[in-house]
Amino acid sequence: MVKRENKKKLNANFQKPLILLIVIIILTILQPSVFLTIDNFKGIMLSISIYGIMVCGTIFPILLGGIDLSVGATAAVSGACVVLTIIRFNYSTTGVILGILVGLAVGVGTGVIHGMIVANFKVPAFLITLATQNIIYGIAQLLTNNQVISCMKPKLFTFLGGGRLLGVPFSIYILIIIVITSYFVLNHTRLGRNIYAVGGNSEASDLSGINSKKIQLIAYAISGFTAALAGIVLASMNQQAIAKAAQGYENDVLTAIVVGGTSLMGGEGSLLGAVWGALLVGMIGNGLRLMGIPSTYHGVVKGIVIIIAVSADAYTRYKNSGLSKGKSTKRFARRANVENN
Amino acid sequence: MEAEKLLVMQNIQKSFNDVQVLKSVDLDINVGEVHALMGENGAGKSTLIKILTGVYPKDGGKIIYLGKEREINSRKDAANLGIGVIYQDFSLIPTLSVVQNIMLGKEKNKFGFLESKKMEQHVINLIKEYGFDINPHAIVETLSIAKRQTVEILKALCEESSLIIMDEPTASLSAKESESLFEIINRLRDKGVSILYISHRLEEVFRLADRLTVLRDGRKEAVVEKGEINPPDVIRLMIGKQLSEATASNALKKSTNEVVLKLENLCKKGLFNNVSFEVHKGEILGIGGLVGAGRTEVLRCIYGADPYDSGNIVFEGEPLPNVVNKTIQKGFGLIPEDRRNQGFVPLLSIEKNIVLTNFDKTSKNGVMNAKKEKKLGQEAVKDLDIRPNNPLIPVGNLSGGNQQKAVLGKWLCRDLKVLLIDEPTAGIDIGAKDEIYKIIENLAKDGVAVILVSSDLQELLRVSTRIVVMRKGKVFKEFASGRITQEDILMAASGIQEKEA
Amino acid sequence: MRQEKIRRLVSIALLLVLVIVFGTTSEYFFTTTNILTLLRECSVVGIISVGVSFIIITAGIDLSTGAIVGFTAMICANLLYYTNMPAQMIIVIALLIGTLAGYLNGILVTKLRLPDFIATLSTQFLFRGLALICAIRTSGVITNKVIDNRGILVMGGSISGLYLVTIVFIIVAVLGQIILKKTQLGVYTYATGANRKSAELSGIDTDKVKRSVFTITGFCCGIAAIFLMAKLGSVTPDTGTGLEFEVIAAVVVGGCAFSGGRGDIFGSVIGALFMAILSNGILKYNLPTATQLIVKGSVIVIMVVFDSLYNGYMEKKIREKSKELEELSGGEA
Repeated sequence: MVKRENKKKLNANFQKPLILLIVIIILTILQPSVFLTIDNFKGIMLSISIYGIMVCGTIFPILLGGIDLSVGATAAVSGACVVLTIIRFNYSTTGVILGILVGLAVGVGTGVIHGMIVANFKVPAFLITLATQNIIYGIAQLLTNNQVISCMKPKLFTFLGGGRLLGVPFSIYILIIIVITSYFVLNHTRLGRNIYAVGGNSEASDLSGINSKKIQLIAYAISGFTAALAGIVLASMNQQAIAKAAQGYENDVLTAIVVGGTSLMGGEGSLLGAVWGALLVGMIGNGLRLMGIPSTYHGVVKGIVIIIAVSADAYTRYKNSGLSKGKSTKRFARRANVENN
Repeated sequence: MEAEKLLVMQNIQKSFNDVQVLKSVDLDINVGEVHALMGENGAGKSTLIKILTGVYPKDGGKIIYLGKEREINSRKDAANLGIGVIYQDFSLIPTLSVVQNIMLGKEKNKFGFLESKKMEQHVINLIKEYGFDINPHAIVETLSIAKRQTVEILKALCEESSLIIMDEPTASLSAKESESLFEIINRLRDKGVSILYISHRLEEVFRLADRLTVLRDGRKEAVVEKGEINPPDVIRLMIGKQLSEATASNALKKSTNEVVLKLENLCKKGLFNNVSFEVHKGEILGIGGLVGAGRTEVLRCIYGADPYDSGNIVFEGEPLPNVVNKTIQKGFGLIPEDRRNQGFVPLLSIEKNIVLTNFDKTSKNGVMNAKKEKKLGQEAVKDLDIRPNNPLIPVGNLSGGNQQKAVLGKWLCRDLKVLLIDEPTAGIDIGAKDEIYKIIENLAKDGVAVILVSSDLQELLRVSTRIVVMRKGKVFKEFASGRITQEDILMAASGIQEKEA
Repeated sequence: MRQEKIRRLVSIALLLVLVIVFGTTSEYFFTTTNILTLLRECSVVGIISVGVSFIIITAGIDLSTGAIVGFTAMICANLLYYTNMPAQMIIVIALLIGTLAGYLNGILVTKLRLPDFIATLSTQFLFRGLALICAIRTSGVITNKVIDNRGILVMGGSISGLYLVTIVFIIVAVLGQIILKKTQLGVYTYATGANRKSAELSGIDTDKVKRSVFTITGFCCGIAAIFLMAKLGSVTPDTGTGLEFEVIAAVVVGGCAFSGGRGDIFGSVIGALFMAILSNGILKYNLPTATQLIVKGSVIVIMVVFDSLYNGYMEKKIREKSKELEELSGGEA
């Protein structure tokens, strides 16, 4: 039984790169001259970098069995904060540094508020973050007065999202740093251990002396932080702040994490899986674009991808629990059975 | 003389994963009698009930109901035959009214609309017929627990049940509420309804039941008329006489070591009252009693998982803080009752579960030390002989015994002073049980003060060096010296004084 | 019952506070025209909230209602553009599409075992995307579909001042309340939300209940789509965006708790009125539209937290009460 499990795990380890490879091959065959070019891959990486940064933080609340749907709005508001601060400080270096600090603080602050509400009031996280998504989005509109605010200098600011180092866009370095940090936190720190423990069984964690409320607070704060960082990089990349800047990004983030094998029930999933999911989603989006399929179709594709990914997860769970057949009364009986054993 | 048989179960057998839980059980119930089903924990009572109500399929045997052999494959089959169950954890819908709850699933419709008046009348008639005192329009969540139970009984009656199964119905009732339940039961019997009454409480059984069936170890031990037997004999039947005299007794002695932990008049409203005892270094204090006597609650309060209302907990001469993290720092550990939900994180590996209580040893400034973690995991697997001996396997995939060893592993590498253990071997096979006992005994030898709560009398006798019996939230009796048998404990737990025996 | 009654009073009090604030600060508020406009404005949200109330009472959620409305409207606009179908036919088709879309949600939730919010979030993308696709003319340009069918436009009209949509809203609400309180499905809806296990134990097929409530919601979205088309006179791919949010806000203000088993249609009607007056007031005071988002979001957060606290408090009180009774009876002798 152990052997079979190891084998299964091995298969799962191979599965992900394999799927990625297949997608690359298919896209190469379909678009031989365009897809497999360095420029195109840079483009893919660039488009992934923003929501890739978000993925690294948003996975924290999801590992706890929660969710954060406000990341797109948070990114927009922190982008607006940075740009507005820079303009107020007359495009000075102080302005840039102060702006970034303000932007990140806003992100962490919203995260802390989410964490406090979710941990203390036993309310569904998706609903709270959906509501705050609207609130934050509204604030972003107020801040920008619903207009595009350009900010093309100083260089320190524009370099974040638009600059290049050794020919590679700087935002990709930021992405890599965030991925490594997040991976380290999740796999090699006490906090990471606590996240998996609370997500897997919060009662047992509490009895082991882990403060699960505090862990929730931190997880949402991290999610807010990465959302804000992504927003700042995005504002720098576009050299402007706009309320709609990152609208809908939370969907890409969610898709990437779910496709990457993280369970929405919490306690299960890995950062590398989520990053893989981000690559896959980015590549499929890129492929669709290259094939001349207008972006109008992307929503449909995303919807279907999420349905397939989540239902695959939910269905295997359901099947493994032995509850898959029969009428509800019989199911109840079997469920009682499973729970008892 | 020969009464009409309502239900006859013959030679019922059932196994789970190669463990035979029911070896051969017979049960027969007459029309209009209260029949008590008795037995120790693990004797097979609840499995038998689950077979009767269609939750589990039976492996062998016959069920004859009203003279015909029947197959009961689902809860619905049982309900159709007229077997109703009063669940311990109430299966009512809190936000619906009494009438709606009673008629749930059997609504009367006319042109697609509910015939509220007719259903109401039906329920009112039912209430009148049996003389209950309940407002049919009340919303269930506003009712007291006793009233909710009445609604459950009405629900069963509404299904025209001729047999109602009650599983520990007085567990969460006050004395007065229990009285009115007994009245109801007597009234039901007068109306010709049979009742299968499952309870650990001997005094209730002797007040209510006409006949008793005693199960032991998956077999029917005896069926007796109430008049033919007295409570101590029932206890003897439940334990099995030969066993109780031969092996299941143990010499107790009060430890002379220093007192580590002292409880002074600990109270928590509605759960336990004025609980006081002392625990010495290197001692295993067993706490016996029936389910619901307040034992688990006392443990959780000591550990800091729940607050208490009044009283003191003194640890090494100082008051003990009521916070989990602080008690752990002081050297406390808890093996909780509900292993799966409270003991471990099923998706995480053995190693990572063990680390959960040992971050102070395996991390520095919040960064984990992989080597130390690995060492901890390997040591635990080796010392506790967890199988398979791979510390990277998720605990959820282990067998019950090995899961429990992993939970023990969370504490063993710590500098333990007091270990609180709650039902450590529930659902664990015999081999693993022995190993767990050995681990506990070794801990005590190393000077750890152990408090062991258990409903398994053999276990209690085998492991403890001193035994306290709790009953209805109070310390009822302490056995500190001399030899003691299972009988002694059961009698104390049931509130029978020795003179009667 | 008291718990529900107090909660109902809270909803009514919230509504009254708004009415008093806006009524005393604006002379215009209590004019017949304004009241009729208010009723019209609350109706589309109200019609959908009737369905969503059912879902939330089963402890579920529907985030796709806005997208279903948009998709349905877009299909109808296309049919009107490309064919000569009579208005009646279009109405029937709209209802059918809405119902099927709702049924699809139900299938995803019960057959594929998706959590409600994930299932309806994905169908939100799906229907919004489909609406976009349908909006593309052969040239690839996305254009607004102007509705010029008089049969449809007539639905936006009024009878002696009272708009048709308001009349339909009242009918739908009354029907919804009857279904909820007077039929088996209604009782099962409460049972499924309050205690799913117990409901199954009583022989209720809770999956079927779930599918039914999603289908009802889809049907309501179909109705809403017709009136939205008639009112706006054109359909864009964005039609109905954010509607789901306003509906959820209305339903929670009205007292349907997310934990399930509580609330009714009457409450949601109050909630819909509340939201309409709020939007109306924000417009009247010339506040930026962004304020609407902030206010609506805050209303949801506050009401959800309030319900969680309130229900927890009531539960505690009941428990304490039964404990006191126990002590009066003396406990152990």
